[in-house]
Amino acid sequence: MAAKVLNIIVTGVGGQGNVLASQVIATAAVDSGYYVSVGETFGASQRGGSVASHIRVSQIKPYGPLIPRGEADFILGFEPLETLRTFRDFGNSSTQVIMNIRPNYPLGVLLNEDHYPDIAVLTGGLRRKSQRLWDLEATELAVGLGLPVGTNMVMTGAFAGVYALQIQLETYETILKGMFDREILTLNLAAFRAGVKAVTI
Amino acid sequence: MEQSKMPSWLRKEVMESGDCTRCGLCVGLCPYIKTQHEHVAFIHDCSRVDGNCYRVCPRTQTNWVDLDRQVFGTERTDHGLGNYLKVLYARSLNKEITRAGQYGGVVSTLAAYMVESGQSQAAVLTRGEDNGPPTPYLARNREEVLACSGSNYSASPSLSILNTGVFEGLEDLTTVGRPCQILALRKMQGLNEASQHNPSARKVNFMIGLFCFWALETEFYSFLQIKTEGERILRLDIPQNYLVATTEKGNVQVPIDELRAFVRPTCLRCFDPTAEFADVSVGSTENDPEWNTLVIRSSKGQEIVNRVCTAGLLETKPYPEERLPLLLSAVYKKKKRVLEGLKQGKGYMYLNLNSDYAKGIEEGGTGL
Amino acid sequence: MSFLSLQVNKSGRSVLMTGNEAITRGAIEAGLGYAASYPGSPTSEILANLGRLAKEYNFYAEWSVNEKVAIEEAAAASFAGLRSLCIAKQNGLNVALDSLVSISISGIKAGMVLVVGDDPGAHSSTNEEDSRLLSKVVHIPILEPSTPEEAKEMTLAAFQLSEKFKLPVTLRCVTRISHASGNVTLGEVEAVNKEAIFAQKDRFVTNAALHQMQEVKLAKLRQVADTLPFNTYFGPQNAKTIIIASGPSTLYALEAIDALDLENEVGVLKLGMTWPLPEKFLLEHLKHAEKVIFIEEIEPFNEENVMVLAAQHISKIYPLEFYGQRSGHVAGPKGPGIGEMDPDKVKQSIARVLGVDNKSEETDAKSSAKSETSDVPVREMAFCAGCPHRASFWAMKSAVALDGRKAVILGDIGCYSLALRRTGWTLPQTMHAMGSSAGIANGLGKLDRFNFKQPVIAVVGDSTFFHSTIPALVNARYTGAHFLLIVLDNGTTAMTGHQPHPGMSKNAMGEIVEGLQIEEVVKGLRIPVVTQDPFDLQGTTTVVLKLLRTEGTKVLVLRQPCALVAAKASTRPRVYINQEQCIGDDCGCSRFCSTTFSCPATIWDPLKGKAIIDEVVCNRCQVCVSLCPQGAIKVEEGANFGR
Repeated sequence: MAAKVLNIIVTGVGGQGNVLASQVIATAAVDSGYYVSVGETFGASQRGGSVASHIRVSQIKPYGPLIPRGEADFILGFEPLETLRTFRDFGNSSTQVIMNIRPNYPLGVLLNEDHYPDIAVLTGGLRRKSQRLWDLEATELAVGLGLPVGTNMVMTGAFAGVYALQIQLETYETILKGMFDREILTLNLAAFRAGVKAVTI
Repeated sequence: MEQSKMPSWLRKEVMESGDCTRCGLCVGLCPYIKTQHEHVAFIHDCSRVDGNCYRVCPRTQTNWVDLDRQVFGTERTDHGLGNYLKVLYARSLNKEITRAGQYGGVVSTLAAYMVESGQSQAAVLTRGEDNGPPTPYLARNREEVLACSGSNYSASPSLSILNTGVFEGLEDLTTVGRPCQILALRKMQGLNEASQHNPSARKVNFMIGLFCFWALETEFYSFLQIKTEGERILRLDIPQNYLVATTEKGNVQVPIDELRAFVRPTCLRCFDPTAEFADVSVGSTENDPEWNTLVIRSSKGQEIVNRVCTAGLLETKPYPEERLPLLLSAVYKKKKRVLEGLKQGKGYMYLNLNSDYAKGIEEGGTGL
Repeated sequence: MSFLSLQVNKSGRSVLMTGNEAITRGAIEAGLGYAASYPGSPTSEILANLGRLAKEYNFYAEWSVNEKVAIEEAAAASFAGLRSLCIAKQNGLNVALDSLVSISISGIKAGMVLVVGDDPGAHSSTNEEDSRLLSKVVHIPILEPSTPEEAKEMTLAAFQLSEKFKLPVTLRCVTRISHASGNVTLGEVEAVNKEAIFAQKDRFVTNAALHQMQEVKLAKLRQVADTLPFNTYFGPQNAKTIIIASGPSTLYALEAIDALDLENEVGVLKLGMTWPLPEKFLLEHLKHAEKVIFIEEIEPFNEENVMVLAAQHISKIYPLEFYGQRSGHVAGPKGPGIGEMDPDKVKQSIARVLGVDNKSEETDAKSSAKSETSDVPVREMAFCAGCPHRASFWAMKSAVALDGRKAVILGDIGCYSLALRRTGWTLPQTMHAMGSSAGIANGLGKLDRFNFKQPVIAVVGDSTFFHSTIPALVNARYTGAHFLLIVLDNGTTAMTGHQPHPGMSKNAMGEIVEGLQIEEVVKGLRIPVVTQDPFDLQGTTTVVLKLLRTEGTKVLVLRQPCALVAAKASTRPRVYINQEQCIGDDCGCSRFCSTTFSCPATIWDPLKGKAIIDEVVCNRCQVCVSLCPQGAIKVEEGANFGR
């Protein structure tokens, strides 16, 4: 890691399991000897609100739990609108983005008062403005594996698979093995590996 | 788009102004209007700019002349009773019905005939509840029809159950209703819009209208409970100038003047006490509790009455000549009062008459 | 979150922990004997984890009925010689305050630590409240961690200080400590004798004469503060500008100085103990400073206390200028003290005071990101898919409309306070503290003598019912108040993460207990009570309407498990929308299912112009099935669903 600190934002909607994903990534970084700070909000905001975790990884010292605006190096977006929102606030032209393209509609859109951006336009915009965008059907991959709640593991796998941090896949898998048992573990590992594969091909 | 057909206007003009007749036809067309305990209310503002709820309401713009043409194919000549073929005295020949029913038992007989003969799959009625307001009821056989017999005097939104029945797949229904309810059904039948949603009135194949000069607020039942000291009420009647509530411990009489406070204000704006757009209209005779007044209006009404008489279920006799002016006088009195209100702009704006009709009312009943 | 790290038992090892986990670990390392709490963000996870670890480490942990009882229990354990912990959010401290005032006066015995989670920015709260002001009122010391690691260290230190001075000690956390994670180094678990005894000679009583003792303790603590390692200074020894910061703001300040290239000019004085102040230490640095900038979260607590200290010693430290919330220099867009601190606000504030260029404001890269054209609609909080509260409030809305007397709905604290927003059709007209709806209903419910004719509905959750609604019900019974109390019983303390409460058959330590039925309590008060399933919308509407028309105090329990719990436990059949039967905008419903009822699982397919169910989101409650006027919403056949 050349820079003093690598700033990663995991963003999505309450209930998508993004807090767990950020904990797996952060634990992997701690286990690999980095200083790590994670700032996240959960509690009330899990009720359909935006949920973002700021993960700051450094070889030098602990950083504060929040990333300054415009300074995200990496955005792991569980939901397109939240990815766009986070990119607008924290992204820059050298930010890299992994995005699940399945929308989750906010109340204002359900109420037919707000307009949800067209996915193709949104994706095109992010591709132009960011350094790199991986767009994937993480939810569909998880559903296909028989684990609809496994979107977070697919996304975690995708993050691991692009090696933004020099952390071996085994480090993540060891953490998952400590978190889940038996068939749930099998499903989560499959989801994680599907995510790795989705960004590797 | 005519702004005035917005559901929000129905809420404002009709419901919140207290003008709702509680016909019940708008209930169940959408998830926004609900009824409970005779109350009809908007649960939530609907954002539609055009709603059938507004179009079918008996208290929104109603063109009397067009309705005559739509239902009877002709304008009326009698501005008191509207279009009709015959006005008769009638009574049931079935003892079971005359015992349970009120007066001649004509409504029960006709409704029971329709469902029993299979001409209708069900009849839309109301069924008395212990000491409270009656509930809308879909009677699917003779026993169920008879269980609904007997008069009640509040405004049950019973057409809501018509929508339920049609939603559940019923095809042909007899509907018994107050004049405002018949009016709503006819307005719905006349909708021009190719409408996919639930034009339930088009599934009504026989409309029995009830004479109705006023209906009472639901609170009347609580009042009655005080009068009858909580006794179970078996039967209600208004033979003359007092209401008679029959309980297990005997009759309780309440002077009609005491009921006036409970008369629904919207009933004072009603232009149609005799259900002018029904196939047949039925009322009391005011002088003979054994008989009903039966107004046969449409050819379908005539046909069905003929069949019922042929089947030996009903008998009729001519309307006593000396009684007709009394009926007309009462009708004209009510209509003139409404017309006067209309002229003074006292919120009777729903009524759309042409000059002939208005003149007919003004001049009608004078020689009686 | 990562409960894993709490299970690691290797002293010296660095693991990832949230602040809450670090405090949990710190308490265990300190030889905790007794812990009591009532759930509240951001500190709920501490007792949740303590409950899971209680047996392994031989201590007791409970979710108490409310914070007042919790703090009294913690005091009791301390009186009996056990190190104890009480955990609350800022509002919880308000509930416990009356007792805490007197516990501070009476003094305690074994170490007693009070963890208070403040919520700057009110991420999961109804208010922003700076609890430090209350600890000051109570005359107890305050430690404020700036990282999870420090949270653990301070927990250990707090027990020692508490035991030494026989005073409870407050550990004041904020959301960005409690819910932040960082490297935490594990220590040894202290071997403590956990034999409880209430010594015959001991007296713990509240007496005004003991006020003097409190002041003596504080004076001594002031001296101890000067020696504590948590109060430190970073930067040039004779810096003309110093920043006095506490909590996570310290790290924001350090990062800002780095970003603004001010490392050689500006010093940062970190206050770890913010009450009583380390006066000598502070004066030492105030002497070399000409400008002081205060950065802290919520109220200008340090700012005012340090300014008073400075005023006392003005002749020795003059000239000196103060910048902070009072001067308006340290502020977010909504003004000083409003909203939480972040690195950008801190950097802007420092740049503002020192008149330097805030470099980060507009770099090319950032303006490029911002120029992203499409608008980003906000994401409002809403009831979850399948949440029973959506059904309950719709039934209330229906009943109130049908009743027609403009019933007043009074809200309370829990997930259901979201009803104040559009997801609950903004129905509640009041919302205050836990159980307040029932108290307000007591008041409104007796205004009939002043011609008040509107029916009154108070809405509380099951946990709130036990927490503080029962006294209001007793009052209603005694004074004859007319109102309907609706208890939305979803079988858990849902808002804060599904903690057990007295109505449940499980306690904090996972043991099976006999749950107390809400109906039993109400019946005991001889108040009529009805139970109803809110998923039966028609039935619920009828019951609410009927109860609104009944005199006196009435209780309606609407029982249906929290959707998030039910979704995990059940194998309900799939719900789908028959695309032939849905007639889209031709329907009179005006997109009722997706817009008005606005369940996040029912969405609009703009291509087909019809509603569809998002099966990933749907929790299969089936309530929408009864609401579609076309009957187009179907439950997959053949599957069995009983409720």
